[in-house]
Amino acid sequence: MKRVMVVDDAVTMRQMVSFTLKKGGYEVVEAEHGQEALEKLKSVSVDLVITDLNMPVMDGITLIQNLRKMPSMKSKPILMLTTEGMAAKKEQGKAAGATGWVVKPFDPDKLLQTLAKVLP
Amino acid sequence: MKIDLSQFRQTFLQESAEHVAAMESCLLQLRSAPGDSELLNSIFRAAHSIKGGAGSFALTNLAHFTHQLENLLDRLRSMEMQATEEVIAVLLASVDVLHRMLDTEEAPEAPMPPDALELQQRIAALLPSEERVAPAPAAPPEAVGEHLYKIEFRPDRELFSSGTNPIVLLRNLAALGSVRHCQLHTEELPALVDLDTAQCYLSWTMELASACPESEVREVFEFVEHLVEVRIQDLAAAVRPEPLPAPPPAAKEASPAAAPALARPGPGAQPAAKKPVASGEAGSIRVPIEKVDRLIDLVGELVIANVMTAQMVETFEPSCLPRLRDAVAAMERSTRELHERVMSVRMLPVGTLFHRYNRTVYDIAQATGKQIRLEIAGEETEIDKSMLELLGDPLTHLIRNAADHGIEMPAVRLAAGKPVEGLIKLKAFHRAGRVVIEGSDDGAGVDVEKVRAKALARGLIGAETQLSDEQTIMLIFEPGFSTQEEVSSLSGRGVGMDVVKRNVEQMHGTVHFASVKGQGSTITIELPLTLAILEGLLVRVADRTLVLPLLSVVETVPLRPAEIVPVAQQGEVVVIRGESIPLLRMSRFLGLEREDTVAEAATEAAGGEIHRRLAVIVQAGQRKIGLVVDELLGQQQVVGKSLKRNLRDVAGLMGATILGDGCVAPIVDVASLAALNLFSFQKSGRVNSPGAGKPQPTAAA
Repeated sequence: MKRVMVVDDAVTMRQMVSFTLKKGGYEVVEAEHGQEALEKLKSVSVDLVITDLNMPVMDGITLIQNLRKMPSMKSKPILMLTTEGMAAKKEQGKAAGATGWVVKPFDPDKLLQTLAKVLP
Repeated sequence: MKIDLSQFRQTFLQESAEHVAAMESCLLQLRSAPGDSELLNSIFRAAHSIKGGAGSFALTNLAHFTHQLENLLDRLRSMEMQATEEVIAVLLASVDVLHRMLDTEEAPEAPMPPDALELQQRIAALLPSEERVAPAPAAPPEAVGEHLYKIEFRPDRELFSSGTNPIVLLRNLAALGSVRHCQLHTEELPALVDLDTAQCYLSWTMELASACPESEVREVFEFVEHLVEVRIQDLAAAVRPEPLPAPPPAAKEASPAAAPALARPGPGAQPAAKKPVASGEAGSIRVPIEKVDRLIDLVGELVIANVMTAQMVETFEPSCLPRLRDAVAAMERSTRELHERVMSVRMLPVGTLFHRYNRTVYDIAQATGKQIRLEIAGEETEIDKSMLELLGDPLTHLIRNAADHGIEMPAVRLAAGKPVEGLIKLKAFHRAGRVVIEGSDDGAGVDVEKVRAKALARGLIGAETQLSDEQTIMLIFEPGFSTQEEVSSLSGRGVGMDVVKRNVEQMHGTVHFASVKGQGSTITIELPLTLAILEGLLVRVADRTLVLPLLSVVETVPLRPAEIVPVAQQGEVVVIRGESIPLLRMSRFLGLEREDTVAEAATEAAGGEIHRRLAVIVQAGQRKIGLVVDELLGQQQVVGKSLKRNLRDVAGLMGATILGDGCVAPIVDVASLAALNLFSFQKSGRVNSPGAGKPQPTAAA
């Protein structure tokens, strides 16, 4: 079973993404912000990370930059959770090394399709 | 697969309400620090999260409204705009609208509420025109039919840096139809020694037969547009005409003139419209994981202790007794701790409630031209969730009173030699196992003589009634003391101080009011930590067992009939170390007096002593009273059950409990007994005035 880390400070969004992924047959690890995600990745390995961009403590862009420096995460897919109309953020995310993005409000089926699209 | 997310709706609404509250508190802080990027970021994040979720639950209006709000907030955050008083006022009004939108759940296809429409115009007026929300252009219609695409796919050397695997892209392309031909180009591969495995040197050319439109083929590369060079040619469509471009999307925008101009609702109207559905008694509670983990640990310990005792009982022999006793003691410890921890799940910090009043104070200051600061302390103090909710309205009333009537106008304050800015303090702390909430202001205070005169005029006291200043000032809590016509539009919703007192007493708490004319007032509310479990002192009155909350008990003294001092028309007192403490005979209160006196007479006739009675001195707020009981039976934890379902509210009792032997014992409500006792100072013939009127029959059941 593929393991996915969901990083979002908004509880509802995090729960909804996790719920959708579990229904889609993924194992889910949650983190509230970038710092916690990095902390958790020290002891658990994942196949993909989905992260929000606006978060306290450590935002999504910084998280992606840090993940790309980790040998274990260097080539794993990373998706950003973005909102439409945030073109600049999306570009920053891409530059930081994001593989793709999911637009909020997300459609559960679309989310699963996107995962399937980037996971080997 | 259809995935239904509607189960998260309630959580989302609750979380959003918290976000809105956070926005409000940050906005108020922003007034004194207009460029604080941390505050601006927090406000932005809150709006952003609401918007993100709103779309998932088809709350279209909420999503639209927060989207526009977000545009404004983004400008503030990027310092393109200044957070002026005007902007903050608009944002605070938006907070009110958001509160209402969350409270009155949006129906599908409902039009944008008028107050939201009006605010959207005000926000739009603050924004440059290109920030208006334009609808997304409709996708152009695609020609249907079989295509043969020739796809040239040349990734950037850096493709791997985005975590993209080109094989996955090829796989996704193949899924769109059937691959007729695929060629791998390896010309750029360097010699092995020069090979950098982090770089992509390969490229592909593929022929794909597919029924999908070209846009769908391009979508495969959606995420890597910046990292690949892709050329797509439809070999089959070389002769087909291009589809017509779609007409430009009509700019559909609500014209600012079309919406009716609406008066901005006054601050007084807002809480009245509020519906406590989202945070109602049946609502959910968010519990930190650590609390749950500790609960699970404890349950684990209990299970182990249980297994141990079960085994010992199975193969019992007398030598096991000490071990059995240990095991039972361990179980008792765990049970007790489990009790406490389970109760703590219901505990919430008062901070969430306290910070709401920043807004109340801000609104009143704005409306009256006063300068007022609210100082909050002890916000981390925890209190039972249901009590926190019950506290909301009384505190609102008290804060409004303080801001509206207490704090003087700047000129008056200056003349009185006070700082121009009035100060209201709201403080929470623990004292002797109870939660104390103290609200004070440095305003004009209350004139005791005026209170006395008014109480006299309203017939609350007689001309001959002797009351201390302290007792007089407490009269403001009597029903009928304040009337609606003298309540201003700001502080008045027809709620008087009597309601404050009633709400607090409903929680088995006490209110105390102190005021010094010209210097300010202080209101102290004392509440039990929780309503469900308490440490009880079991006492016997005649043949009944009563439970007294141990926390209220100060001491127990033996009582000889000779020590009871009757006070004319005002009951009886006992003097302990120079202090006169009013007495309440529980037998009389419970309507057991006749049996009691009969028994007493019998004892006396038999030549026995009748001095075995005890006075349990209890304290409620600032008042002490002595409850006369026959015997102390012991001390134990009791689980309080409400009497309301069967007997309505019974004066003087806060509930009942089931004792170890299965008997039902009433739990005495010390605060309301003390209040009943105070009442006897004003009107004779109640409760504990000897010989005047019948005893209260209420608790006899």
